[in-house]
Amino acid sequence: MSRLNCEEALAHLQDYLKQELTPDLVAEVKTHLGRCRDCEGYAKFEERFFLMLESRARKETCPHEVRARIVAALRAAAKDS
Amino acid sequence: MAEPSVAARSFDGEALPHLDTLYRVALRLTADPTLAEDLVQDTMLKAYRSWQQYRPGTNARGWLLTILRNTFINDYRRRKHEPVAMDLEAVEPHALYRSIQDTDPEGNFFSQIVDAKVIEAIDALPTEFREVLALSDIEGMSYAEISETLKIPIGTVKSRLFRARRQLQADLYAHAVEMGYIKPREPAR
Repeated sequence: MSRLNCEEALAHLQDYLKQELTPDLVAEVKTHLGRCRDCEGYAKFEERFFLMLESRARKETCPHEVRARIVAALRAAAKDS
Repeated sequence: MAEPSVAARSFDGEALPHLDTLYRVALRLTADPTLAEDLVQDTMLKAYRSWQQYRPGTNARGWLLTILRNTFINDYRRRKHEPVAMDLEAVEPHALYRSIQDTDPEGNFFSQIVDAKVIEAIDALPTEFREVLALSDIEGMSYAEISETLKIPIGTVKSRLFRARRQLQADLYAHAVEMGYIKPREPAR
C-alpha cells in the first residue's frame, strides 16, 4: 500500500471527514493520521469546525407563519388547477 | 373546504418535509429574511405546478433545491447588491490551523463566537462559495448530490468547498482576534 505524506494526507482531509473518499483512500488517510500527531491534530480541528457549523447554522427553521402562508398558497393553487 | 387531491397529498408528503432546508438555503442565498420567505413560496408554487415532472422516489430535496436556485438566479439575484464578482480561483486559501496549532489547536475560540456572527460570516462569502457550503456543511448533502443540484462538476464542488471553508475559518479567526477571544500569533520567521 502506498503511503501518503503529510501534504497528501491533508489535501484529502476535508473529503475524508465528509466521507467522500474511496475506501482505498480512506484507509490510507486513516493510516497516516494514526502515525502523525501533527496531522491528527489538524483533523481534530477540522472536525470541530464542521460540528460547529452544523450545530450553529441548522438551528434556523422555517417560521410557522411562513409555513402556513405557503400551505395556503398551495391550496389556492390546487383550487385553480 | 374540499379535500386535497391525490396529487396535492403526494406533494405535501414529499415536498413539505424539506421546507426547513429550503428556507435555510434561501436565507443563505438572499441574506434577507423577507426575500427568503418569498423565494421559498415561489419555489414551492413552481414545484407544485410542475409536480408531474418529478419522478416519485427520486431525490425530492435536490429537485426542489434546483428550482429554488434557478428561481433565485433568474428573479432575485439582481434585486440585491451583489459583491463585486471576483476570480474565485485567485483566492489563495490560508490554512488557519497553522496559526493556532500552538495556542488553540482544538479551535476552542469557535465556541465563543455567537451564532449570529457565524451566520453573518457565512453570508459574507461570495455566492458561489456560500451555496456549496450551505448545501454540504449545513444541509449535509453529498458532493454528488450538490453537483447534480447546481449542475456543476464534482471537482468544482470540491474546490469551491475547500476555498469556502478556508475563507470562513479565516474570517471567524479575524473576528475572534478582534473580539479578544484569541491572541494573534506572530507569523513564524
